[in-house]
Amino acid sequence: MKIEKRQVEGQPLTVIVEYPEWNNSVQSLIGKIEKMDLSFVGKSEDRAVSIGISEIYYIENVERKLFLYTKDEVFRLDGTMPDIESRIFDTGLVRISRTCIMNTDKLREIKQIRNSHLEAVLDNDEKLIVSRKYLPDIKKVFRKEGV
Amino acid sequence: MKRIFRDTCILFALAVLSVFAMSIIWVGMTDEIKLVLQLFILSFVIAFANYFLDEYTSLPMIGSYIVKYIAATVVVMLFGFIVGWFYRSNFWMAFIYVGIVLVMAYFIDAFKTKRDIDYINSRIRSKQK
Repeated sequence: MKIEKRQVEGQPLTVIVEYPEWNNSVQSLIGKIEKMDLSFVGKSEDRAVSIGISEIYYIENVERKLFLYTKDEVFRLDGTMPDIESRIFDTGLVRISRTCIMNTDKLREIKQIRNSHLEAVLDNDEKLIVSRKYLPDIKKVFRKEGV
Repeated sequence: MKRIFRDTCILFALAVLSVFAMSIIWVGMTDEIKLVLQLFILSFVIAFANYFLDEYTSLPMIGSYIVKYIAATVVVMLFGFIVGWFYRSNFWMAFIYVGIVLVMAYFIDAFKTKRDIDYINSRIRSKQK
């Protein structure tokens, strides 16, 4: 596979896939690229904003309301945790507790803190509680990336 | 190795189920078959209880195992009395049976958790390089 990169100013990020024939590898590659382009519509006061997956730090369910956190902003999301989960399959977003979905791309480290609780430290120094039950799911994301 | 062990357990469970299914057809329900089915039902009930404890409680690891120990012992005792495993004189055996299984599970869980954390952190570090 040949990879070419070039900077084109004033254009959105564009990926062109050229293939000699359509097969499963091409389909899988395009699927992965499309997943990277996944976005959510978040609401903040009166405005609705499209938030790309790379901007998301975590999504939290607080009293049946969903909140999406970016580096320094919070948005309200419509839908439920199962809705979100059905969209994030095969991405870097993973459930880490009953009420929280984290972006593993923003993860700096996981620590075992007092009383064997687990804590995820994100790039922006935010700390999230990780349920031990979901630790294998986080590991699976990193294992996939390592392949 | 882990995969071989997991596959062995699955194969073993399937072998037991097929052999016992054939035995039920040919010989009928024997005490051994009844015991295995009772253990299967008991495992299902305990797994079900554990699922809810993991999902809806956020206790420290040791606290979570203490709660699981109490819950599993209560289930084993009740189940044991219903199916006639225990009598009033030896019901305390449930504490020992459950205790042995949970102590092993605790240490395996602690080891696995530490290994998973190390793996994830090492992957993050190699990504950052």
